[in-house]
Amino acid sequence: MSPAAASAWSSASEALSRWAILCVLAVLYLVAIALSDAFLEPVYVGNILRQAAPVGIAAIGTTLVMILGCIDLSIGAIISFSAVLCAVLMAGDARNVPMAVGLTLAVGAALGAINGLLVVFNRDSSFILTLGSALAIYGLTQIFSGGTARGMVAPDFREFFNHRLGDVLPVLALTLLLLAAAIEALLRTTRFGRQIYLIGSNREAARLSGLPVAGVIFACYVISGGFAALGGIAVLARSGVSSTFTGRGFEFDALAAIVLGGTLFSGGRGTVVGTVAGTLVLFIAFNLVNILGFNYNLQLVLKGAIIVVASAAYARLGRDR
Amino acid sequence: MAVAAAPVAAVQSLAHRAGIYGLLAVVLVAALLFVPGFASPTNLANVVTQSAALGLVAIGQTFVIAGGLIDLSVGQLLGLSVVLSCAISEGRSELLLPVLAAMVALGAAVGVAHGTLVNRFRIEPLILTFGTLSILQGAIFAYTDQSVGRPPAELVWLANGRLLGLPVAGLVLLGFAAFAHLLLRHSRFGLRLLATGGDADSARRAGVDVARVRLFAFVLSGLGATLAGLLVAGRLGTGYPNAGQGFELDAIVAAVLGGASLAGGRGTIAGTVAAVILLGVISNVLNLLEVSAFVQTFAKGLIVVTAIVATRARSGGGPFSARRLPAAGTAGRDAG
Amino acid sequence: MRLLFLSKALACMTVLGAALLPAAGAQTTDRALQKKQMAEVVDTKKFKKAGPYTIGVAAGYMSNSWVVFCLQHIRYEASLHKDVKDVIVTDAAFNPSKQVADIEDLVAKNVSLIIYWPVDEKAIQPALEKAVAKGIPTVNAGGGFSYSAGTVSNAFIDQWALGEEGARHFVKDLGGKGKIFAMLPIAGTTAAVDQLAALKAVLKDHPNIELLSAEYGDWNRAKAKQISENLLQRYPKIDGVFSPAGQMSMGVAEAFEDAGRMKGLTMSPGDEYNGWMKWVVKNQKGGAVTFPTRAGQEATKLGLKILAGEPVPRGLVIPSEYIAPKDAAKFAEMNKPDDWWASKLPEQFKPK
Repeated sequence: MSPAAASAWSSASEALSRWAILCVLAVLYLVAIALSDAFLEPVYVGNILRQAAPVGIAAIGTTLVMILGCIDLSIGAIISFSAVLCAVLMAGDARNVPMAVGLTLAVGAALGAINGLLVVFNRDSSFILTLGSALAIYGLTQIFSGGTARGMVAPDFREFFNHRLGDVLPVLALTLLLLAAAIEALLRTTRFGRQIYLIGSNREAARLSGLPVAGVIFACYVISGGFAALGGIAVLARSGVSSTFTGRGFEFDALAAIVLGGTLFSGGRGTVVGTVAGTLVLFIAFNLVNILGFNYNLQLVLKGAIIVVASAAYARLGRDR
Repeated sequence: MAVAAAPVAAVQSLAHRAGIYGLLAVVLVAALLFVPGFASPTNLANVVTQSAALGLVAIGQTFVIAGGLIDLSVGQLLGLSVVLSCAISEGRSELLLPVLAAMVALGAAVGVAHGTLVNRFRIEPLILTFGTLSILQGAIFAYTDQSVGRPPAELVWLANGRLLGLPVAGLVLLGFAAFAHLLLRHSRFGLRLLATGGDADSARRAGVDVARVRLFAFVLSGLGATLAGLLVAGRLGTGYPNAGQGFELDAIVAAVLGGASLAGGRGTIAGTVAAVILLGVISNVLNLLEVSAFVQTFAKGLIVVTAIVATRARSGGGPFSARRLPAAGTAGRDAG
Repeated sequence: MRLLFLSKALACMTVLGAALLPAAGAQTTDRALQKKQMAEVVDTKKFKKAGPYTIGVAAGYMSNSWVVFCLQHIRYEASLHKDVKDVIVTDAAFNPSKQVADIEDLVAKNVSLIIYWPVDEKAIQPALEKAVAKGIPTVNAGGGFSYSAGTVSNAFIDQWALGEEGARHFVKDLGGKGKIFAMLPIAGTTAAVDQLAALKAVLKDHPNIELLSAEYGDWNRAKAKQISENLLQRYPKIDGVFSPAGQMSMGVAEAFEDAGRMKGLTMSPGDEYNGWMKWVVKNQKGGAVTFPTRAGQEATKLGLKILAGEPVPRGLVIPSEYIAPKDAAKFAEMNKPDDWWASKLPEQFKPK
């Protein structure tokens, strides 16, 4: 291959791997339409976006942590805790909503801060540390709720988020898109965003160049916790009740979405757009299986297969660089 | 201030070096002294029996973690093993050996699949095994959504029985652990595995067949899961499809508490077994002390975090290190 | 190389085989046999002991409000008896191995009686049998009847009767014709199997009602909603939904409301889940067939009788009652959370 062709291929495959998930999303959507014209209906698509919102919102925050090269396994627990806390604070009264949402957000961020402190002072252990904090937070959720889903959601709260703008797009879905856009902008245009990428690529070099590594890691965990709290509030908006195990498994679904979206475990790469696209891929796949009438368990097999195949594809694309 | 600092540092260093064994000893002594009912031989035997299955899985997991990998699928693989062994044997003793052979084959096969996918396609083990976890779970539930079959009586005895007063499950665990210990710490494979986990490139340059080593690590992890599944089948007396849920995370916690590092290159079988026993003792003690189940989950999380912080805080090196999980393929360096 | 290929093939075949083998069929209850078994009188002389008693509750799970209320009923009943000095609760969090370990630990603590609801009935039988062998009676509380050596007696709600009563009212409200789907709990549980069987039995007399699909919402409101949204896409005409669990009925109803297809929809009675009761009050449709949480209270009473050496039946049914939409207001607690159950518990025993 001539040098010119080689470099052209190299930049083409780089672009391809960066936006691979969008291609996958597009292809999957076309397949879905071919199999069922439900996917052409805006209302149905709005539904899917709304279903994906809790996982998607939580995953946005955690994307930052993963670009850093760390991991946050506690988001499922924070989602559960936030859903219960928010419902309790709301106590069925619409006037409490701003206070409930604000306080829940603060608590989520605080839990993220604890994670951040643990990780900053115990390098290399974010997997097991956030696993431990997940257990502790789940326990707290159960202690707090006593096993039942406490609290009551104010009816207007749910109506607001389920209201369809232009009869199509639920407000909750719009929230997902807006939050995604905001964080993507943060990553691309601010210095903080650039620092995240640098630290993720090579932490030692970043530290030696004087970047506030500890501070950035801490801040990203705070954001991750805060967004997990938003995810919990989103669950509340979508389903109106907080069961104590609301968030169970969300952390791994979010992880899958993030990885599908092109973020590497080793850090240094990734985008929020990719994460949202990854989330949509998962949920379109689920709904496709459901609407075609297949055994629910096939969803699990499909989810697994998508993850494996997509990861293999990414790894292959990455290798050519 | 310096005078006060010295003993604190000494205690910390002692805590770090004693690590999991020290923690286990302290907890055991405290339980024997202060928890009513703990010291009875029946109860102690129960704790060992209850921990045996997790022990097998955690030992398998130690191999992969030492190799710088991870295997999240072991829980569902255990579940598949439980369901298949019960469904196939339906309580018939003459099928014991074929079922045993089949489970060994299954564990090895899944391990080979993982190893091949990681080597050939450079898929990150964490995400790969999360994918296969889903596939296995879906397969189990597609086959059955309620309990099926019965294990042969021998498995029931293996999981619950007593030999000369000792719990048989404990002897099984001991045997497996002894074999694993020799393999990890006293064989060439073990040396190569640890080297690969520590720094795959250096290992390769030193002539280690990194791909092969990783493959065997996954095979051992798969075997740990399927063999543990046989024990669980004996314990439950039926093929419950969701039997394996949660084993993978508990196994990882046990391996890491036992001294393995998720960055790879470290790990001991003895440490893992000690950690598994510790987790079993804690669960038992909390039940005997009638601690609310909700508080138990919280306590378990706190213990994990505290143990990691206490035993790692002085593991050398600065607070930051360049890697967390060595990516299976970064910029095509691993030619495995 | 060949070994590699062979092993990979073997792994694939096992997984595929498991996925493609015909799904192990769910056994529906033989009603006549169950009636006979329930009525058997248990000779409890061997369990007779003097107080003070410690009651052990081996909960298969504590993460839903029904079992929380059931437990509170146990505590309430225990408080009415001076010779019960303690109630110890263990939670297996849906892990059968843990429930086995919990039962062993309760036995080690020498509890006088074990009340339980299983993660999986078969999986804990060996452990329960060991308890019984040591003279500790076991009572199953909840939604299924267990006729096995490890279970001395049952205080349960008859899922089939519940399904049948609900189906009858549903069919009446439907006017005897239409297209319907069923929203059932976790697949494979007694509840799911019996409720569906009861529905089908009632439908035999109504050939003009077509069952489009039986879905499993796992007692999860959000999941029931998601499944309903998909069904609404698949089927242009749905006249009714059979959903005996109020928690899921709420999710179903929301999906229909969202899609603007609530009008003309007939909902079957749900249960007395508070959120559903509130919905019934507001919409005056559906009603309820109760799934009484006082099963815990009845289980405790059975257990104490056993400890006194009195004969008890093998199975005691806690009857369900039908609540018409117009009566729902008497049962709904508007100012309490959705995840709540109507009961006659005194205030200090209600969950916080």
